[in-house]
Amino acid sequence: MIQRTDQLPTIELDGRQITFHPGESLLEVASRSGVQIPTLCHDPRLDPAGACRSCLVEVEGQRRLLPSCATPAVDGQKVTASPEHSPRIERHRKSLFSLYLTEHPGEDHPDGVERGAPNKLVRAAKAFGAEDWGKLENLRDDLLGDRSHDENPYIQFDSDLCILCAKCTRYCDEVESVSAITLAGRGSETTIATPDGRSLLDTTCEMCGGCVAVCPTGAMGEKKPKTHKMPVEAELEKVRTTCNYCGVGCQFDLNVDPAAREGGGEIVKVTSPTPAPPPPTPQPRGRTGGSTARTRCGKGRFGYDFLHHEDRLKTPLVRGADGELHPATWDEALAAAAAGLRGVQERHGKDALAFVSSSRCTVEENFLVQKLSRAVFGTNNVHQCAAT
Amino acid sequence: MTNSIREIRDADFLFVIGSNTTEAHPVIAMEMKRAVRDGATLVVADPRRIWLTEIAEKHLQLNPGTDVWLLNAMAHVIVTEGLVDKAFIETHTEGYEAVAETVKRYSPEEAERVTGIPAEDIRWAARKYATTKKAGIYYTLGITEHSHGTDNVYALANLVLMTGHLGGESMGLNPLRGQNNVQGANDAGATPIYYPGYQRVDDEKVRAKYEALWGVELSPEPGWNLNEMMKKAGDEIRGFFVMGEDIILSEPNVLALEERMNRVEFLVLQEIFPNETMRFADVVLPASGFAEKEGVFVNSERRMQRVRKAIDPPKGARADWQILLDLAAASGASWHHRTPADIFDEFAQHAPNFAGISHARLDAQGEDEDGYTGLQWPCPDPDHPGTRYLHEGRVLRGKGLLTAVEYRPSDELPDEEYGLLLSTGRTLYHYNAATQTRRDPGLDTKQPGAFVQLHPRDAKKRSIRDGDPVTITTRRGSIDAIAHVSRQVKPGCIWMALHFAEARANVLTNDKGDAVTGTAEYKVCAAEVTKASDYTGELHEFRGSHYQAGHAEDAPS
Ligand code: SF4
Ligand code: SF4
Ligand code: FES
Repeated sequence: MIQRTDQLPTIELDGRQITFHPGESLLEVASRSGVQIPTLCHDPRLDPAGACRSCLVEVEGQRRLLPSCATPAVDGQKVTASPEHSPRIERHRKSLFSLYLTEHPGEDHPDGVERGAPNKLVRAAKAFGAEDWGKLENLRDDLLGDRSHDENPYIQFDSDLCILCAKCTRYCDEVESVSAITLAGRGSETTIATPDGRSLLDTTCEMCGGCVAVCPTGAMGEKKPKTHKMPVEAELEKVRTTCNYCGVGCQFDLNVDPAAREGGGEIVKVTSPTPAPPPPTPQPRGRTGGSTARTRCGKGRFGYDFLHHEDRLKTPLVRGADGELHPATWDEALAAAAAGLRGVQERHGKDALAFVSSSRCTVEENFLVQKLSRAVFGTNNVHQCAAT
Repeated sequence: MTNSIREIRDADFLFVIGSNTTEAHPVIAMEMKRAVRDGATLVVADPRRIWLTEIAEKHLQLNPGTDVWLLNAMAHVIVTEGLVDKAFIETHTEGYEAVAETVKRYSPEEAERVTGIPAEDIRWAARKYATTKKAGIYYTLGITEHSHGTDNVYALANLVLMTGHLGGESMGLNPLRGQNNVQGANDAGATPIYYPGYQRVDDEKVRAKYEALWGVELSPEPGWNLNEMMKKAGDEIRGFFVMGEDIILSEPNVLALEERMNRVEFLVLQEIFPNETMRFADVVLPASGFAEKEGVFVNSERRMQRVRKAIDPPKGARADWQILLDLAAASGASWHHRTPADIFDEFAQHAPNFAGISHARLDAQGEDEDGYTGLQWPCPDPDHPGTRYLHEGRVLRGKGLLTAVEYRPSDELPDEEYGLLLSTGRTLYHYNAATQTRRDPGLDTKQPGAFVQLHPRDAKKRSIRDGDPVTITTRRGSIDAIAHVSRQVKPGCIWMALHFAEARANVLTNDKGDAVTGTAEYKVCAAEVTKASDYTGELHEFRGSHYQAGHAEDAPS
């Protein structure tokens, strides 16, 4: 039997009737109906934690505001989620983000706060008119909080910026399944730490950078852009591309500083594409949300420095009569290559040549190698290097 | 892959064989972890205690190279216990009878003797696989890098076909491609037997089509595969063109290859970094990395996705496609291509499976509901949405062919002189010849140098302690590395990563190739390990990670 939409359960959201699939959270229903609710600790790949309180909504009959990320929709529920419909929500957001700012330097942090993912907290605080209530002292800078001894080259944790939403540790547990970082300490000294405060290099960490990507405050940040003197976010160009490592083919954005390298451009970081808005129809549970299309491993996220490495070959080389390789112009090198291959062909026949192509190169380039081999040099001796 | 990556999370049973997924395909492993978290049963067949075994219901720790025994014994259980999908076999397959006959001789008890896996575990895995509808098989080089690699794949396909686990979501037979564009290079015709799109070179009609297209006469003779090329180097093969590959580091039995390479008269190398092969090059052409050019990669699930130019190559270097056009022109050809989009069109429009795909269409393609982009082939025309999983409702070649295979021992097994069995593979932090990853500060600190894993028992016998420099020797050569005493490997087995230029594991490996594909036996050869007498390399520490899990401190005292 086909279930008709009018038989699906509904909630009233900001005065509109919205149908949903059982199991959907209020946040999911709201976001696909175009009702914006701020979130900090929520990610569709993670089990809802309800930790940051930024997504609270009013549900009729409930005395307290409820976290929409962790509250399942129930048939007939009346929900108010927008400040325009609820002064209570407006007050809540303003004071919550003001409170967060007492523990977070906002935009004033000396290192800047967008070393990894864009800083959601600061943006939300601005949007909801958070006020300056002064700053609280950070009591977490003990061995666990201060990670300055950690010489891992990629990931930095700065307890001054952390709001303890535990998104990073949950990602590390639930998605990466390695639990390299965890909440540690008590009370106002609680912080994010590794077992015994070890360097990430000495833990199970796989350098996936997931903790950096999900952190809403910039507390988990990238070390690299600091060493690269990164220009402000707005001056970076984002180029969507496909990863060049394994056969998964993750998509990501190369963040390019276009002025660097005398205008040739330099990659300063890799970020995940922002998710497309969810479709407006009710989603059956199961495959929704949080695909791996946006998840990435350490090679994809951090492994691009080779492109700018000084060892790169920059000049064509031709072996001279002295047996050494000498710099040559492109025209000389191409002519030498063509003549050399033709020479072998004349002396030993077409099938004395072999063309080794590369699974690292593009489809177009592999196509050209086989065309060169077949159509120009007349042999089917062409194979890519990884025959698997 | 017959199925898509996104379907993995909905599988109820995952059979992972010969794939260290968390290290070779970390992102696919995340989907597997997610499936397990949601209640799926994971069974891992691997000689090593790889990370995935920690969340697996069962680890079938087989002796390296005995895959056919394991798989045939599983088929034995499925056939003798009547767990086959009769209707599927009748409508969709051929050759079942012969396979059923052959696997009769592969009893789980006998399999236990050969593979080292308890017969009961084999029975359990076979039953569970056969009786779960959404049951997928995932494999990589651990299956194919053997002299009998093709047999291994047939044996797996037999399991899939006899249980009808094909043509639906979250099932099928899924090879996880090792490199970003292995699939694309094959699709593009960089193989000795196929033009683009798997059109055979010895098919008259196909050849006539390409002769008309390219205006030249084409050779009807299939070419040599990579393994044969390397064996014939210096003899039948006197000239090489090599793009983007360090054949000297990556090919097996490399010392013998180097000797032959000296007799090669001419070699052109197109590369981004100096490498070992450059020692034999007569012309070196400086090329480009993935962020410096336009094009398409095809992932493991046949998904064509765009690669885009973000930065310029270093001054003096050129994009690979540009170099190839230049070289063709210098060799007297007049090709009309101007851009990667042009080149792609010629590639796609003459191969029916890709004809609906173009750069323009890929660029216009948004993300689907799971955030995926690009198009999965087959995609025969511009209105076709692409194909998420193959064999829906039928089997591609008409009827799925079951192929009876017999166990053949690996080419070279341990003996008195070389008492250990060496396998090689990849690790998470490096990537093949590692010309890229080793130039990265972080990936390099995590795993700075070559190491060999060996079991505490074997270490003790040889008075080797964890962290000792050791020499690994096979019939083909020897190299030094640091001993990593670990229970991750079985007693009698050792394991090395392929990535390190100063300790090239391929000095050791056997170059015997699979009869059909030519893929070399990287996974099994006989070796011996001794304490290194005059180790000159660095003594590095092996930093944390799940390798520590099997790490044994109790080596000899
Ligand atoms: S580091 Fe970031 S993600 Fe982790 S708890 Fe702190 S604020 Fe949340
Ligand atoms: S980089 Fe990945 S593995 Fe390491 S701590 Fe962060 S989430 Fe965990
Ligand atoms: S997003 Fe719901 S409580 Fe944090």
